[in-house]
Amino acid sequence: MNNFWLALLGMTCITFFCRFCFFSKTVPFELGPKVKRVLSYTAPSVMTAMWVPIVFLGHQGSSGDFITSPFLIAGIATVAFSLLMKNTLAVVVFGMSIFGLLTFFF
Amino acid sequence: MPSKSVVATEPISSDFKIMNQAIVDISPLALATVPWGVLCGSLAITVGLTPLQAQLMSLLIFAGAAQLAALTIMGSVGSISSMFSSTFVISSRHLLYSAVFREHVRKSSLGLRCSIAFFLTDEMFAVTCAYMEKHKNFSAVYALSSGITFYVIWNISTFAGIIAGQHIPNLEHLGLEFAIAATFIAIVIPNIKNRSTLVSVVSSGLSAIILSIFMEEYALIIATFIGMFCGYLTKDNDKNKDIINE
Repeated sequence: MNNFWLALLGMTCITFFCRFCFFSKTVPFELGPKVKRVLSYTAPSVMTAMWVPIVFLGHQGSSGDFITSPFLIAGIATVAFSLLMKNTLAVVVFGMSIFGLLTFFF
Repeated sequence: MPSKSVVATEPISSDFKIMNQAIVDISPLALATVPWGVLCGSLAITVGLTPLQAQLMSLLIFAGAAQLAALTIMGSVGSISSMFSSTFVISSRHLLYSAVFREHVRKSSLGLRCSIAFFLTDEMFAVTCAYMEKHKNFSAVYALSSGITFYVIWNISTFAGIIAGQHIPNLEHLGLEFAIAATFIAIVIPNIKNRSTLVSVVSSGLSAIILSIFMEEYALIIATFIGMFCGYLTKDNDKNKDIINE
């Protein structure tokens, strides 16, 4: 990664800009209700766009099949468990344990 | 030093109470991201960064999803422009958090505003909003304490990942990649409280699968936009229903 330092600097500036933007006294405008509503879907959308390919396409990295993929089975189990348990840490521990057991035994 | 100041003045002792409360509130959320921090550290080593570079990503960028996306891009196509655009799209939700806190911090000093902005994360925003709702006022002490706690745990777990990445070959086979999936499932699924969020999640997920197969480089950004757009469009249709539900 030859351009690492440029990438690091750029990403640091971008993330800080997004966090600081509306704290700045030189930004006179407020976000309109429509923009706020669009932005409120960013977090669920971006996270889903990251976890869904891991669960449904995770089998491609190994030689396993789609149906027997530990990514798929543990992913679906985690979704089911997250509907029952609202505790984030418990859901993560549960999902990791299922995944660990599946990769260990199969 | 804090332990000696038992007879401290009222504001200081109440600040301590707020600090303690902040640390207690954010700890479970911070612990849930430990596997994810470990992954950021070890993945950085796997894609060829030095330990210093890997740690600096967590020290300076301090944004898990953006860091992971960037590392994935570094490991595959490696173009700076796609790294910057995905960072911006992923971080754009912080614009919303920034706008929400705006009225509470606008009159503070530049240093305080910069500090609160730097430590602003999903988790810090969530607990600070809950605190605000309960006590009916914004607390900079609370926001900073929870943010800094999160920062420390995030960087320790990155460090652990760097060490593990150097000493354990093929760490990704231990399923750390699945930790990202599990963390995001645990955050996203329980927060689907109305039809528009459900539509946004389903459309983003479906398009992420299809796009990952055909054009991996832009899959994350395009799928996110599709999810945001579909959610936005749906909200209009069931506005009345939402009000009834709330």
